[in-house]
Amino acid sequence: MKKYGRLMIAVLLTVALVFSVAGCAGQTGDQNQAQQQQKVLKIGTNATFPPFEMQDNNEFTGFDMDLIRAIGEEQGYKVEINHMDFKALIPSLGNNKIDAAIAGMSITEERLESVDFTDAYFNAGLIIAVANSNESIKTTEDLKGRKLAAQNGTIGAAYCVEVKKQDPKTETRIFDDIGAAFMELEKGGVDAVVNDHPVTAYYLKTTTSTKAKMVGDIFSADDQYGIAVKKGNAETLDMLNEGLNKIKANGKYDEIYKKWF
Amino acid sequence: MPLVEIFGLGVIDNITSQYGYKVISNNLVYFLGGAGYTVFITALSLVMGMILGLFAGLGKLSNKKILCFLSTAYIDFFRGTPLFVQIFLLYFGILPLFYDNDPVTSAIIALGLNSGAYIGEIIRSGIQAVDHGQIEAARSLGMNQRQAMTHVILPQAFKIVIPPMINEFIALLKDSSLLSAITVPELMHRGDLVFANTYQATWVFGAIAVIYFIITKIISVIGDKVERRLATD
Amino acid sequence: MIQVIDVYKSFGQLQVLKGVNFQVAPREVVCVIGPSGSGKSTLLRCINQLEATNSGQVYIDGEELTHPKTDINQIRQQVGMVFQLFNLFPHKTTLENITMAPIKIKGINKADAEKLAMELLGKVGLTDKAHVYPGKLSGGQKQRVAIARALAMQPKVMLFDEPTSALDPEMVGEVLAVMKNLAFEGMTMVVVTHEMGFAREVGDRVVFMDEGIIVEEGLPQDIFDNPQNPRTQAFLSKVL
Repeated sequence: MKKYGRLMIAVLLTVALVFSVAGCAGQTGDQNQAQQQQKVLKIGTNATFPPFEMQDNNEFTGFDMDLIRAIGEEQGYKVEINHMDFKALIPSLGNNKIDAAIAGMSITEERLESVDFTDAYFNAGLIIAVANSNESIKTTEDLKGRKLAAQNGTIGAAYCVEVKKQDPKTETRIFDDIGAAFMELEKGGVDAVVNDHPVTAYYLKTTTSTKAKMVGDIFSADDQYGIAVKKGNAETLDMLNEGLNKIKANGKYDEIYKKWF
Repeated sequence: MPLVEIFGLGVIDNITSQYGYKVISNNLVYFLGGAGYTVFITALSLVMGMILGLFAGLGKLSNKKILCFLSTAYIDFFRGTPLFVQIFLLYFGILPLFYDNDPVTSAIIALGLNSGAYIGEIIRSGIQAVDHGQIEAARSLGMNQRQAMTHVILPQAFKIVIPPMINEFIALLKDSSLLSAITVPELMHRGDLVFANTYQATWVFGAIAVIYFIITKIISVIGDKVERRLATD
Repeated sequence: MIQVIDVYKSFGQLQVLKGVNFQVAPREVVCVIGPSGSGKSTLLRCINQLEATNSGQVYIDGEELTHPKTDINQIRQQVGMVFQLFNLFPHKTTLENITMAPIKIKGINKADAEKLAMELLGKVGLTDKAHVYPGKLSGGQKQRVAIARALAMQPKVMLFDEPTSALDPEMVGEVLAVMKNLAFEGMTMVVVTHEMGFAREVGDRVVFMDEGIIVEEGLPQDIFDNPQNPRTQAFLSKVL
């Protein structure tokens, strides 16, 4: 009885103390509390890259979206997603418009000059897509001198430019979004689309009417996706890496992976 | 297509230097080639737009119901829907039904059809701005409707429409930047490509803006000269 | 030369001509007078069908203009018209204003057309203005050019729609002088005018219109000195 009584008093005192402090601090206290509980993580993406990011009924969905939300949940952040041009993502990190970018973004030397990346969260690799009737393109060697399409700012586009440097007869057609590049392929305007394997695979799987197919092996297999933050923003970087490790450890990552692939 | 030889395929200089001006100096020729495409495509579209616009403008004023209807429908459709939508619709949807369409000719057709609608309205209002007494004078001399149009009304409408036509030319030139979406190698597209590889937004788009501005300024100066010369008559 | 039979014309609800019958003989000069809105300008414009009539017939030199099969452009070439506001072509010089119709419609060669135009400019006293644009001419000069332009088609009839109403008073005389000369040369003319002096002096006949009908017509001295109809009397008492 005595024991419980002391505990009771302690609880009562604590409650009284908390309430009186809250009362004095007024609304500011409440807000501080709310902010501590729900810090906002502003994420930039380009939601035209299924299955990694896309829009469905005004909701951002896809592998990356589930992943960043899971990390946010794990680390106590409210994740706020903003759609923008793919090529605008890195500049937006630079001027603090967003805290981090997750957009199927490959970790490359060039990008590392402008941003920092988290540990890789996905192993992508490139694949060639051609029209069903096309029998002449089977490997990356066959791309030389052809008309190639890719999405602006992706490593697929960088690859096409490389091919063109090797053979100037190559024509590169760089679209703002990958959907238009596939439409161009189906229209017959280009011979091949060079793009990240998971995206192309998902496109061919979900577009039942497609007249395109994948050929050859996945190449540039060291093509890995990372989450980008502003160069030098160690705080956010560490937080994201920690979250990524946590969801990898607790099975959440595998769950999301199975959902999309 | 020899266009490539004229304006150059151009190869992006891929440096990701923190010195933005280097991005510009290394890609200046590439940008100017893009500007060449921009001017070339806009000019051809404008010619096509003027021909279409003349028919549409006259058609809208015609007493023949079918002509009036067709012209009005054409003008309403192309003025009432976004150019961006028209570009995609024509490029991926409609033009492939007629020929193996490439970005540059598709661009000229899309911009030409679009500007034809606006020019049609300019020409219609230009014709209506000519004093009604002019057509009466011409008809009273025994000219038929067509003679009155070609010898009396259109030459006068021509002067009236020059300022709005210059505006249309400038608007069209700026709108041609939307063609970037179908990979027409014009100025904006080239800017986009360089930007995506260098992330130098301020430098790249600053340079693009300056080039657009210089071109539009040249057009408006020429337009003013033409207008002034005709006005002294 | 001109025959107007039972012509009706309305603009929407407004009845402007309510059954007009009207003849002009060859070489006759008829002056049409009447208050504003009486329908006299509309009558003139119906004669060359610048306004389509609702009903009734118009004949010029025996050809019916109101007949649907008539080539109206053909007949209009023979009917010159002079407008209140001149309606010169501002993008053409004086000379080109006069030569345009003969060259473009009749297919006369340029040299002949210009020779004729210079003769006509001489007649209206403006040879020195041949290469001037209308914008540089005074109102009186413009109207004289307009008369020359109409004459260049060598019409059988000339219609004048209040040719001096838009002119400054000091310029009225020069235009009336040209018209007077034309009348003496034997041109068939219908003149809608407020110049009562001109009507009395030059007109062979005066027609008084009011509210869409011809109220009274006759010799100038009869109409002006001894009007029969009270409406004519009332009008003339105001303007004379």
